[in-house]
Amino acid sequence: MKKLSGLVMAMVFVFVLAACGAEKTTGDGQGGSDTEKKSVRVVTDANYAPFEYMDGGKIVGFDVDFVNAVAKEAGYDVKIENVGWDPLFLEVKNKSADMGMSAITINDERKQTYDFSVPYFLSTNKILVPEGSDIKSAEDLKGKTVSVQNATTGQSSAEKLLGKNSKDIKKFKNNNLAILELTKGGADAVVADNTVIEEYAKNNPKQKLVVIEDSKAFEAEFYGLMLPKGSNVKADFDEATKKIIDNGKYTEIYKKWFKVEPDLDKLKEQQ
Amino acid sequence: MDFRFDIIAEYAPFLLEGTLLTIGLSLAGIVIGTVLGLLIGLGKMMQNKWLAFPFECYITIFRGTPLLVQILLIHFAVVPLFTGNTNGILASIITLSLNAAAYIAEIFRAGILSIDRGQMEGARSLGMNHVQSMRYIILPQAFKRMIPPLGNEFIVLIKESSLASIVAAPEIMYWGQAMNGQYFRVWEPYLTAAVIYLILTLSLSFLLHRLERRLATE
Repeated sequence: MKKLSGLVMAMVFVFVLAACGAEKTTGDGQGGSDTEKKSVRVVTDANYAPFEYMDGGKIVGFDVDFVNAVAKEAGYDVKIENVGWDPLFLEVKNKSADMGMSAITINDERKQTYDFSVPYFLSTNKILVPEGSDIKSAEDLKGKTVSVQNATTGQSSAEKLLGKNSKDIKKFKNNNLAILELTKGGADAVVADNTVIEEYAKNNPKQKLVVIEDSKAFEAEFYGLMLPKGSNVKADFDEATKKIIDNGKYTEIYKKWFKVEPDLDKLKEQQ
Repeated sequence: MDFRFDIIAEYAPFLLEGTLLTIGLSLAGIVIGTVLGLLIGLGKMMQNKWLAFPFECYITIFRGTPLLVQILLIHFAVVPLFTGNTNGILASIITLSLNAAAYIAEIFRAGILSIDRGQMEGARSLGMNHVQSMRYIILPQAFKRMIPPLGNEFIVLIKESSLASIVAAPEIMYWGQAMNGQYFRVWEPYLTAAVIYLILTLSLSFLLHRLERRLATE
């Protein structure tokens, strides 16, 4: 009996060790023979339709199709995992993930901590308000309650107008909660990336929401794949991104999700 | 490990405000929850099964579902139904009170049931009616026994008030997450929040310990 339990213990021990070993090798894109497909662990916050969201337990969206196309071009296997917005930044920083993909805007503040791929998407912040609201431009947001997703460029845009950590800004875990707050009357406006709020307004016509553009107050932004500093997959992914933009694959994915032509010139200008 | 005290200093005023709100939310939850809990506990103990049934349902629902679910439901569905718009602080107070009431009701019930039946019989034979016997004989004795489990519940309540951050009630965790979101750092915001919560719960258990000693008769 004693012998048997000792054996079981030994086996468990070996299994655990094997599991640890296996974990270390996956996701580590470097080394190995070049013929073998390298695997990257991509983390996301699948709460951001149409970029990434859950559809029947699967993560789908523009970003998902895009990163799969790029990885295929570059010869990588991708494993996408939904971890949430704030944890995503930590995972990439700690290098427990190879890449963050979640409609992440490239900005100077983030560049201090992370590397980014070449820009792959052009976006601006816009304002979502109920029909008949007296908010007509970004300037009108002053003195109003604005709900945003914590740690997004929507938040920084709102903070530029209302002041940093202003009491009139409500920060939520994701845009769905922020928009819910607006539709239930707890906020006067939502500031977020145009695609997300346009998609929401389009899909929920009964809620009578209007999207307001203010290109003077909110500058164009570019999304990039977020990488840890000194990432060894950056070169491969940058090259593949440029390639699929040139060969029309990017346009195809873009049109599948947004039903319009992408502004490739502006995007290429940034690369 | 580098630990940036400067970002804690930057967020100190917000964390202080957050602490005050956390104390406010917890106090409101404790007071309203205790009053409601006493009523619900007594309700559940009623002889008439039909009258006791709604109270039993209440306890089942609020004790059997996660607080996070309750707070989202109350914030985004229940409160807008009555006031027409959302209010994070109000929703948090309501949820914490209703949730705590379910637990406190059971604590009261346990306390009252723990008193020997002879106490009630003695009180009745002295000519007191049922309410008087409860008020002057049973409840004072039961209350003493309820302090430790009540203290437990109050401490849980302080910690659970952190869930108010999900509906953007600007309490400690809300500012902790804002700090985490701005600097992408973990130790500074969450360790600071943990220390503040620890100070709050330690102060409360100190007060409860004092109360317990004052009420001790032996």
